Amino acid sequence: MRPDSHNPSAATVSGRKRILLNRKLALLTMVLLSGFLGWKSHYYAGLGIFIILAWLGRRFLHLRWDPSTLKKFKRFRRLRRGYVSFLVIGVLWFASLFSELFINDRPLALYYEGQLSFPTYGRVALGSEFGLAGPEGFEPVRYRDLDRRFEREKSGNWVIMPMVPFNPNENNTFRGVLKPQPPGWSSQHYLGTDQTGRDILARLVYGFRIAIFFALAFVVLTYLIGICLGCLMGYWGGTFDLIFQRMIEIWSNIPFIYTVIIIFSVVPTEFDLGIRIAILLIIMVLFSWTGMTYYMRTATLKEKARDYASAAIVMGASSTRVIFNHILPNTISTLVTFIPFTISGAIAAITALDFLGYGLPPPTPSLGELLKQGRDNVTNAPWIVSSAFCALTFLLVLVTFIGEGIREAFDPKKYTRYR
Amino acid sequence: MNPHLRILSCLLAAFALLGGCGPKSEEGADPASSAASRDPVEIPEEILQYMQTKVYLGPDVFQDLEAGRITQEEVDERAAAGEFPPLFRFATPDDLPSNLSWENGMDLPDLGSPKAKKGGTLYDYIRDFPRTLRTAGPDASTYFRAYLLDHMALSLGSRHPNSTEITENGFRYYPELAKEWAIDRERKTGYFRLHPEATWSDGVPITANDFLYTLYFFQSEHLQDPWYINYFNRNFANITKYDDHTISISIPEAKPDLTTRLLGFTPLPLHYYGVLDEDFVDTYQWKFAPTTGPYVIHEKDINKGRFIRLTRNKNWWARNNKYLRNRFNFDVIHIGVIREIDKALEAFIKGELDIFSLNLTPHWHDKVPHDHDAVAGGYIHKYTFYNDIPRPSYGIWINMAQPMVADRNLRIGLHYAFNWKKVIEEYSRGDMVRMNSNSEGFGSFVNPRIEAREFNVEKALQHFAEAGFKQRNEKGILVDDQGRELSITLTSPYHTAMDILTILQEEARRAGVEINLDILDLTAGFKKLDEKKHQMVFVGFGTSPEMYPRYFEYYHSTQAYDRAFLADGSVNPDRKTKPDTNNIQSFADPEVDRLIEKYRGSEDVEEMREIAHRIQQIVYNEGSFMPAYVRPFLRVGSWRWIKWPEDFNVRIADRYQTYYLHWMDEEERKATLAARRSGETFPPVIEVFDQYNIYKDTP
Repeated sequence: MRPDSHNPSAATVSGRKRILLNRKLALLTMVLLSGFLGWKSHYYAGLGIFIILAWLGRRFLHLRWDPSTLKKFKRFRRLRRGYVSFLVIGVLWFASLFSELFINDRPLALYYEGQLSFPTYGRVALGSEFGLAGPEGFEPVRYRDLDRRFEREKSGNWVIMPMVPFNPNENNTFRGVLKPQPPGWSSQHYLGTDQTGRDILARLVYGFRIAIFFALAFVVLTYLIGICLGCLMGYWGGTFDLIFQRMIEIWSNIPFIYTVIIIFSVVPTEFDLGIRIAILLIIMVLFSWTGMTYYMRTATLKEKARDYASAAIVMGASSTRVIFNHILPNTISTLVTFIPFTISGAIAAITALDFLGYGLPPPTPSLGELLKQGRDNVTNAPWIVSSAFCALTFLLVLVTFIGEGIREAFDPKKYTRYR
Repeated sequence: MNPHLRILSCLLAAFALLGGCGPKSEEGADPASSAASRDPVEIPEEILQYMQTKVYLGPDVFQDLEAGRITQEEVDERAAAGEFPPLFRFATPDDLPSNLSWENGMDLPDLGSPKAKKGGTLYDYIRDFPRTLRTAGPDASTYFRAYLLDHMALSLGSRHPNSTEITENGFRYYPELAKEWAIDRERKTGYFRLHPEATWSDGVPITANDFLYTLYFFQSEHLQDPWYINYFNRNFANITKYDDHTISISIPEAKPDLTTRLLGFTPLPLHYYGVLDEDFVDTYQWKFAPTTGPYVIHEKDINKGRFIRLTRNKNWWARNNKYLRNRFNFDVIHIGVIREIDKALEAFIKGELDIFSLNLTPHWHDKVPHDHDAVAGGYIHKYTFYNDIPRPSYGIWINMAQPMVADRNLRIGLHYAFNWKKVIEEYSRGDMVRMNSNSEGFGSFVNPRIEAREFNVEKALQHFAEAGFKQRNEKGILVDDQGRELSITLTSPYHTAMDILTILQEEARRAGVEINLDILDLTAGFKKLDEKKHQMVFVGFGTSPEMYPRYFEYYHSTQAYDRAFLADGSVNPDRKTKPDTNNIQSFADPEVDRLIEKYRGSEDVEEMREIAHRIQQIVYNEGSFMPAYVRPFLRVGSWRWIKWPEDFNVRIADRYQTYYLHWMDEEERKATLAARRSGETFPPVIEVFDQYNIYKDTP
């Protein structure tokens, strides 16, 4: 058990109230902020929210890993396969935050008439700003064409395009028509294009970013609901437990994927893409949170009967305090082992939905949509299905390796020998 | 939650949605095999009573009744007082008018090829197993109905599919059930002498009683099919039996296409259905009714969820008919269920299907290219056949009742912001041609001066600026003075149109428009249309080969709003959109209303043509309909043993099999299969039949 960082009995009554209020506020903020996660394509905001959540948890809920958990993490680091997978995914995930720098139809740097600019994240510029006349002047500038023009003119202007100079939604022609283009070095479509000429690598990377954020947000939200309700059922027991258990049994028997399809189909579509993705997320969460409650309920029931919990209650600690400060830290190891599997489950679910055509609204890049195209073009464009399949397998295998690593690290029977 | 279970459940659900279903259930007796007498069947007493009291109300009374201006009780009272003429009449041959000029349509050219051989089993496929074998009632309007009714069943006569001649009474017709007919334009009536030897597929003679019965049948509420009930109540003014093989049919209006309205009547078997009751829908769910057509379905040939087989009726009475004898050549048509079109294509390439429609661009160019082994080796032949029919109205329908797009300038701007040229030239590789108006394919009824607006960013920006959208924001999207983005939702009930729509979406950004795509299921999509909740929708309505386009359903103000205009002609400020109509543009214009009313009442081809041109011009000016594209041909791949007539098909064929002109050569089949095994090849056959291509001169 973790020693509390500051002594509650030393706090004044008003101070205590303030802390409690702060905690409730913090909890509320956590729920609300997570709701906004994945809302817009502002992944940096998402990352920031994660950091804030972690800080809030530490500062106000005193959620801290206890030494035995820390020891388990150390053990995890020694398990090669899981740890390397974790690092690979972590690096990929972090790099995906900056996909725009690697895969984009906007240049990294641009030098025009004595002025240097970095248009990757800026506003959309029109052709007229670069001296283009006629219809091109009214349209958003096409930097690849600009690049070619500057090279031709040799006027000292230059453009540096990213490694893959395409955005995931633009349709590139191949021999004058829009059809799948095989992978090629000179075309810079390193994995080829899909059936409307969109770069597969770009769609995979942006699709990965969305999928992983979607999965993380999914985990945060399902666990928030699952943990809160599970703990409350375990802690309060009685009628509350009885009623919620029955409700959960009914709720968890609703077929997940059909319900998601049906509900998502009646959601109004006037919203922004980001909001529609968030709605899909919330619908999926609504039908997926039940699983976690069982584990948390059991764990809470078990921990509640321990002496330290009784001691805290006798000392006058509130239910919230007992649950979140005393019981939760001791059940956290159970939770951690589930996270990777929930993530791979979420990725598989969103891929399945996209494959069926009921997932993320078009033209959002996604693995499922690529797989579907791959299946339709398996004979004439095998690179679509192979790219999508390899990417999905790679991702799910890595997540599963992490899961196995964590499970092994958290296994209490460390010194058991099976003979 | 067990995550592995979640993955499994997702996959299972995916398979469940993709895979087949449909356990076997009990089936009814096989009607085709039941013994039948050769005597004409008498009309049961109960139906006779109905026929004696049923009256025809006329269009005005129907309209008043529908609008609630009069009640059903009032109508019943007026009917009892004898105000309305009877719908059914029993007369004697002496009552026939004497000055009729009879015709039989036998002077028209033959259909199909005299070389056609009977025999063989054609392997065909459908995407979904039919949900019923009924041709009316719930679930009956499916793709499969074509095999039961549309392509198969005989009417009094049929339009000659190669003739576009418009006579005094409409298109030229050849005889099917009628031996000869006389059309009296004055009386708005057609007189018909039925073929005395015509029988149903179970051997029972087809007589006048079946025709009278059909009208009773389609007016019955037990059908649970409001469309039929409404159609048959409105469009037939009288049916008279003179003797067992002589009838007359009267219609309310003498429109220029009289022949279509009169000869298109398809009877139903009185002896089979008899008096209808509330169990009709369930009773006949899986029963194959005796048909006038060449094929029957035996009970043993229905394997629910898997396949269904049609067997040729070798004793078909019409097998020697001049216009039918070279058609319907296959002994058996085996229709298997293959849910995915790409899977079906693979089955075709393997030889499990005999013919495949290669209309889709990737299928024609990428999956069965000209240099494909089977094509280059001459095993699979590829044909392009240009047809000439009213085209499905594919396009973007803009709902003028919605905010933003209510502005005419904005709509015109949108026309210029949609890059159909790119879709046509780059995505469909020049297979399609641009559609120009909302009445494409109606011959002389198309206004030749109207051309669709081409993609042009400069013009689009001009029109958007006039609508108030002048500046681009940092995303490159136009905004107006209040900071509203030019962001429009485009709905579509077609998942298959996703590629096209995403291309248009990307291109529209060039003109500063943000398109939100809302691609729905067929059902959900059409529900949204019916409720008029869409801003714009990409959809197409199919049209049968009619003479002139319909405008009332699509452009009349009564189809858009409950009360579009006040008595003084000004716009009603409290008007509410009217759901469940085809006026999905919410088009309401008093002038167009007047034109449409005149058009509907007109009996003169010339006048109707002129009005049609004017309506098309007004719609073009309003910019509420953005024409998309026309596929002016049918493309077919067929195995070497499938043979086609020399001119391949008929002018108005909308599918390769509409008229069943093709046949199978069994010997060729054996030879081809043997050659394939031994690696022997044949010269490739890739043919284009463009005798009916009306777009030849279009660049």
